[in-house]
Amino acid sequence: MKIAYYPGCSLHSTGVEYDISTRKVCDVLGIELTEVKDWICCGSSPAHQCDELMSVALPAKNLALVAQTGDFKEVCAPCASCYSRLKGAQYKLADENLKKDVEQVIGTKYPEDITVLHMLDVIAKKIGVEAIEEKVQRSLGGMKIASYYGCLMTRPPKITGKDSYENPTDMDSVLEVLGAEPVDWNLKTFCCGASFALTQTDVVLELTKKILADAEASGAEAISVGCPLCHANLDGRQQQINEKFNTDFNIPIFYFTELMGLAFGIGAKELGVFKHLTEVEDFLKERALL
Amino acid sequence: MKIIGDKQIKIDTALAKEIAERSGENVFLCYQCKKCASGCPSREFMTSTPTQLMRYVQLGMIDEAMKQNTIWYCLSCETCSTRCPQDIDIAHVVDTIRIMVQEKKIKADTKNSRLFNWLWMTILRYMGRMYEIGLTGALNLFTGKPFKDMSLGMKMIKKGKLKLFPSFKKPLETKKMFDRAKRLSK
Ligand code: SF4
Ligand code: SF4
Repeated sequence: MKIAYYPGCSLHSTGVEYDISTRKVCDVLGIELTEVKDWICCGSSPAHQCDELMSVALPAKNLALVAQTGDFKEVCAPCASCYSRLKGAQYKLADENLKKDVEQVIGTKYPEDITVLHMLDVIAKKIGVEAIEEKVQRSLGGMKIASYYGCLMTRPPKITGKDSYENPTDMDSVLEVLGAEPVDWNLKTFCCGASFALTQTDVVLELTKKILADAEASGAEAISVGCPLCHANLDGRQQQINEKFNTDFNIPIFYFTELMGLAFGIGAKELGVFKHLTEVEDFLKERALL
Repeated sequence: MKIIGDKQIKIDTALAKEIAERSGENVFLCYQCKKCASGCPSREFMTSTPTQLMRYVQLGMIDEAMKQNTIWYCLSCETCSTRCPQDIDIAHVVDTIRIMVQEKKIKADTKNSRLFNWLWMTILRYMGRMYEIGLTGALNLFTGKPFKDMSLGMKMIKKGKLKLFPSFKKPLETKKMFDRAKRLSK
């Protein structure tokens, strides 16, 4: 399967291991990713908070770049925020007047026939769990995992087209065939505060603490995510949370693609998991996954 | 019987109208069911709830709607917009008010968001892609907290998670886009 790939800014920096593991896993599954040529930032939260026209034009430009990269009818984004911006722009561009303005801004035609998918959609829906199960070389051995979807992978449903948005299960199904045991928990789609990571870190620490605490109380040994912004908060801020709230969280936070890679028999180092700020080495060693 | 004049019961709908024109959202559909407030993860930080915000806009209470911290604590998590029984995209209404505050240069408790947005868009304009170290450094400098998240940042650099130097992707192209957008919105 060939598909255009829009990594987004985070996958070239803070979420580099998500990029690495995504590419490795896609390789195993026979998904040929072609990176969108000269892609630019989707605008993320700041764009929709301060400039309505640019918040649509930036994603539209990227969709135009998809069309220029090759004969692609589908593009996938691993970042939930990029995914949401691309999808949201498409939703708004049904308005002919806006479309005219946007085309003027981007200086080229806006291609209407491109489907935007999140990486999890590609894996769970287009590839499917049966094909994934066939590739499993070492089971995750009943590892108890809380799958965390966050906000924008599923919300708002009129933009994402998802039918289970309060209790999504796609990631759980994937983890299950890898031999993990997805736990039932409350904050699957709760917000980690991503857009405030730099401006109002206190809010982020408060929200992220709630997520970690609920996952732990539900018996999870690790959390699985599908967004570099969620990962940066859950993984990167655990120490700050412990310092602030006097807690002792030490919960490994994996991208779902890393867990897939581990189950496919790819080495932990090759997948980039040692780039996490909450160390996972002992955790993987204990479970014979190193 | 008390006699009440027309003027005394008039509601100023100018704010609601401007929001409707900009966003296509009709705040008068809100019947104050509080579903948005109940599910809002950021509610505990806000001066008023999203439900109250909708009422302020209905009543044209500009100061409460535009100058309080409520809109600046919105995380754009879309929980409210997903659940509103009246199909109001509350997060979009919030964004629209934020844009109006920034455009009209209204003094408000923006929690550094105005600065952050400006820095982000400026980096994008000239570089095409985000440059995290530059963004964080500039933000910390302007807000007078030069060492905020320093040790976290150092760890990330060690792990190869932050680019030390920016990547320029079609810088002229994005600058042109911004210029054309500016001309269009005039
Ligand atoms: S959920 Fe909708 S109708 Fe209910 S209070 Fe909020 S905006 Fe109003
Ligand atoms: S989008 Fe904003 S107002 Fe709505 S629930 Fe999320 S944080 Fe609250």
